[in-house]
Amino acid sequence: MENFVTGILINGLLIGTLYAIIALGYTMVYGVLQLINFAHSEVFLTGGVVAFEIFRVLSPAPGAEPGTGMNPYLVFAVALVTAIVVCGALNIVIERLAYRPLRNAPKLVPLISAIGVSLILQDVIKLLEGFQGRFQLAVNVPGAFTRTVFTVADTNVKGIDLTLLIVAAVMLFGLNRLVNHSRVGRAIRAVAQDRVTAGLMGIDSNRMISLTFLIGGALGGVGGVLFALKFPNLDPYSGTIPGIKAFSAAVLGGIGSIPGAVLGGLVLGIIENFLGSLSGLVFIFPKLAFLGAIKAEYKDVGAFIALIVILIFKPSGLLGRNATEKV
Amino acid sequence: MLELTDIHTYYGHIHALKGVTLHVMQGEIIALIGGNGAGKTTTLRTISGMQKPRMGTLHYLGQDIAGVRPDTIMQRGMSHVPEGRRIFGQLTVRENLEIGAYTVSDKATIESRIQEGFEFFPRLKEREKQLGGTLSGGEQQMLAIARALMVAPKLLLLDEPSMGLSPLFVETIFDIVQRLNRERGTTILLVEQNASMALGIAQRAYVLQTGEIRLQGPASEIASNESVRKAYLGED
Repeated sequence: MENFVTGILINGLLIGTLYAIIALGYTMVYGVLQLINFAHSEVFLTGGVVAFEIFRVLSPAPGAEPGTGMNPYLVFAVALVTAIVVCGALNIVIERLAYRPLRNAPKLVPLISAIGVSLILQDVIKLLEGFQGRFQLAVNVPGAFTRTVFTVADTNVKGIDLTLLIVAAVMLFGLNRLVNHSRVGRAIRAVAQDRVTAGLMGIDSNRMISLTFLIGGALGGVGGVLFALKFPNLDPYSGTIPGIKAFSAAVLGGIGSIPGAVLGGLVLGIIENFLGSLSGLVFIFPKLAFLGAIKAEYKDVGAFIALIVILIFKPSGLLGRNATEKV
Repeated sequence: MLELTDIHTYYGHIHALKGVTLHVMQGEIIALIGGNGAGKTTTLRTISGMQKPRMGTLHYLGQDIAGVRPDTIMQRGMSHVPEGRRIFGQLTVRENLEIGAYTVSDKATIESRIQEGFEFFPRLKEREKQLGGTLSGGEQQMLAIARALMVAPKLLLLDEPSMGLSPLFVETIFDIVQRLNRERGTTILLVEQNASMALGIAQRAYVLQTGEIRLQGPASEIASNESVRKAYLGED
């Protein structure tokens, strides 16, 4: 029983960390523009595609002599950096072309634009990869990442899992430092609250908004690479479900809040893992046979039901502020 | 120091300023009074570069600044305390001040100006770590002024600093404005609905009505003008 619970927690935390990283991209952009960047799921998927390409080109072919080819960790580092650059730049371009011209339009308009960008990017990925005869992208994950490093409570923790935790921890620390304790971070927060007055203070709000998209895109890129290592079979629609979940995680934690996005991701990961594992309880408590009917496939449904319930009681999210300001 | 000649400003099709001419000399406190919608705020927004004039000339320290971006104008020593204070409610008092010094790159200068601000407004020092949004209206006004002072302006534009404040705070704010002018030699262009207070501290004043300057002269003369007394000082 203990092992069962620990397993749920560990697996939930691992997948939750991934949601958290993607959720940060949604929440950063929302925080500064009050816009849900629906294209973020494809920006993130682009990170996965970058990882696929880098691993395809730089990794030794499956079945090759062990020890040949580039060091897998080096390949991973290259994939990470490339994804950060590509996705960061992509996000800046998206903002420039699809959102900036609509800056003063009613809020629904850029939202529609975001959905449009999301669909366009799906097709671009389909086109680029399909052109080379690929639709299902099976990422050639180096063995170093799939090997089990250690086992806790019957749960195997693999190389990719450890990598995920380390990268996520570094990113969260760095992001917190940047946003809350740097001059640029202060300027971003000022622009988020009041663009006109920030301009009066000499802050170029367009630059700060571009910077926010750069950060959001880079986070998405990192998330995409890690996602591709954990779930190596990608197709042009693979971004959608994790995207929706990460978005939900951001809302759950309180959209616009950085710690909220992380907490929301972790909570969502644990909830869905718990619900996905319910049928496993049958082996421990044979009397609860009905639980066997709750197949792992229902975990998404369960996760969203949990989301709705939490939001009914806490509409601003777990760490969201009901901002009432003195005017 | 500042000279507006026949300035016309539009909001879309609305002709907000219809040929405003005024000047501010070094070391003066100038009051710009007038009713709602007279164009007082628009005048300040035009001066600080937030609104582009369509016609007329706008000279500041000998340079034409019509259509120049607000951050550039600010770097030339002009600071604008906007209407309604517009402090950053989700940033702490200290962060608000640091944002005010965004265009200042030297850390030691920023720190010494923050300390100067705290000397001027001891109450802000007590609230240093608090979020701006948790301050009272009067404290927010102090913060807005302190934030504008972070660039050590030569010319300070103040838009309705007394708005929504208790009489005691209005008194405090006006004292501070006078002290700034006296002790630091900061030139001040003050927009006010509270005409009696503004005329009490200003050397000269302009009366703005529906986008045009109706009256101008020494503050004491304006204060004793029959029609001003009726319209803005609440006397019949």
